[in-house]
Amino acid sequence: MNNVLTIIKKEFARFFKDKRLVLSTLILPGLLIFLLYTLMGSVFTGSTQTYTAKVVNPSAVFGQIVEGEESGALFELTEISAEDLDAAKEDVKNGGADLVIVFPQNFDAILTGGQTYPVGQAPVVEVWYNSGSTASSSAYSLVVSLLDSLENSMSNLFDVNYAAGGDLVTAQEAEASYYAMLLPFLILTFLYSGCMGIAPESIAGEKERGTIATLLVTPIRRSELVIGKIASLSVLSALSAISSFLGTFLALPKLTGGSIGGALASYSAGQYFALFAVMLSAVLIIVSLISIISAFAKSVKEAASLSVPLMLVVMLVGLSTMLFTTHAPAAFLIPIYNCVQVMAEIFSLQFSWVNLVITLASNLVYIVVLVWLLTKMFKSERIVFNK
Amino acid sequence: MEQLQENAGADFPREIIRAEGIRKTFTLSRKQRMIEKNPTGRKVALDGLSFTAYEGEIYGLLGPNGAGKTTMLRILSTLIRPDEGDAFIAGRSVLKEPDAVRASIGFLTSELKLEEFFTPAYLFGFFGKLHGMNEEQLAKRREELFSRFGIDQFAEVKVGDLSTGMKQKVSIAVSIIHDPSVIIFDEPTNGLDVLTAKVVTDFLTEMKEQGKSIILSTHIFSLVEKLCDRVGVIIGGRMAAEGTLADVSGGKSLEDAFFDIYKRTVTGE
Repeated sequence: MNNVLTIIKKEFARFFKDKRLVLSTLILPGLLIFLLYTLMGSVFTGSTQTYTAKVVNPSAVFGQIVEGEESGALFELTEISAEDLDAAKEDVKNGGADLVIVFPQNFDAILTGGQTYPVGQAPVVEVWYNSGSTASSSAYSLVVSLLDSLENSMSNLFDVNYAAGGDLVTAQEAEASYYAMLLPFLILTFLYSGCMGIAPESIAGEKERGTIATLLVTPIRRSELVIGKIASLSVLSALSAISSFLGTFLALPKLTGGSIGGALASYSAGQYFALFAVMLSAVLIIVSLISIISAFAKSVKEAASLSVPLMLVVMLVGLSTMLFTTHAPAAFLIPIYNCVQVMAEIFSLQFSWVNLVITLASNLVYIVVLVWLLTKMFKSERIVFNK
Repeated sequence: MEQLQENAGADFPREIIRAEGIRKTFTLSRKQRMIEKNPTGRKVALDGLSFTAYEGEIYGLLGPNGAGKTTMLRILSTLIRPDEGDAFIAGRSVLKEPDAVRASIGFLTSELKLEEFFTPAYLFGFFGKLHGMNEEQLAKRREELFSRFGIDQFAEVKVGDLSTGMKQKVSIAVSIIHDPSVIIFDEPTNGLDVLTAKVVTDFLTEMKEQGKSIILSTHIFSLVEKLCDRVGVIIGGRMAAEGTLADVSGGKSLEDAFFDIYKRTVTGE
């Protein structure tokens, strides 16, 4: 046991004393995910932009719609006379304004008149825009959709789900099913990539540099070495995954406009405990698998490339919750897949203790088998001296 | 730390290392099979090798490259297992008690490296703990070995930043941290410059003076002549000749004697 602790301490010292390793494995993943998601969020949800439009024959009704939005004015409307139309079009072309809208005279009266026309004979609203400019294109699409809905509301025959009807799911359940699809995939991917950054270096790297044999001529048992390595690598991989998860957690409100915090607060302590146990078994399995690949490989580079196919499998399994879910107990005997399914159950508030127990028990067996296998590998000269 | 007091007072010299009918074969890769024109795919590295080394002596395994010297020393250090036969260090079997064997030996080879990221001070503490030493024992041993090898002033410098000679000294210090009774040294001066090689040979002489038993492998005749009490000549995985330096040399230089033995063994003349 003391030897296991000595190995764990040494692995931690190797990691935490190496600034580059800490930066690339603990700080950068979270930071990059945060920056990337924030950037994507600001692109997707950048609807607060105010467009400029020059208007001939302005409409009071339309003005109210575009300037009376809660989130701020969508358009800044400037009235111009019909004589200035050509100059205004030139302005749109040059980027001075985003749109020119020409309403028919007495447009508001047409709206309230309620008269309908065959296509081609109705009064025309002209919208001039410049598709070479992103802002002008967006402004154009927005104005067209606003005018369409204005037209619809004026000749309304019926409403769908206006004052009654609607989605029966609670807000919490809706969020829960969303996270049940997303989070198992993210968690597995983060755990795997965290492990990929650490395990090959620690096992294939030691083999490549000839330092593992130095360890093997000490009285330490091979099993102690393996357990020490897997325990420390699991903690470090989990820390790396937490970094990535924190980046996601902090950036998600910016990406989706919602808050993940509200959803996460709705789970009970028991569910969090179950989640922790499943994630622990997942990280131990992943670390053991990558460690075995690393022990088999001749170099860090080879270990990293050999781990890629397994990563694709793990990611695909992570995506499985988006396609189907299962409640058959036998399915919870399949490693990794069982972790994904139990995590999905926990997040979607349909958690079953039986499935959790099957998952944890079967994973424990797999972990013991993998540790035994790695111990055998460390005893084999073909593995240790295979350079 | 291994105590060798049992059987004290019995017939001297006492056996410290005994190899009995060690056989070891390796599987060749397809490429190696083609290069060596060996369709069986198996290469016999050791073919029933037996020898005995006695307490307090330096025993040299002499042989050309590929004779099986390194394989034999790896078996003694429990890094690999023989296919047949067994070897004993201070009475302990490498097959049945590998952990106890490792606790009683110091194994050195150019293939065993220290993590370049760590300092000698850190590595000394790390390996000391793996040998079950407490802080007090560690501090005492560290003082002894660091001053003996002049590592003191480099104790906090990363191994990667040390000179080759200093790296070798740190490797030696780490390998004998637990004061082993048996030292196994594979090709001790290979790849070393003259100054570093001198550090190694001085160290081996000093260890012998301290009563340690040493087994080393080499293909350098002068090293055997300078250091070894007894020598075993390995050719093709078999013991071709064994005895004191004088017995094996038979009045000639060791080099001449070796080539006579080689000729006899290989051509049967």
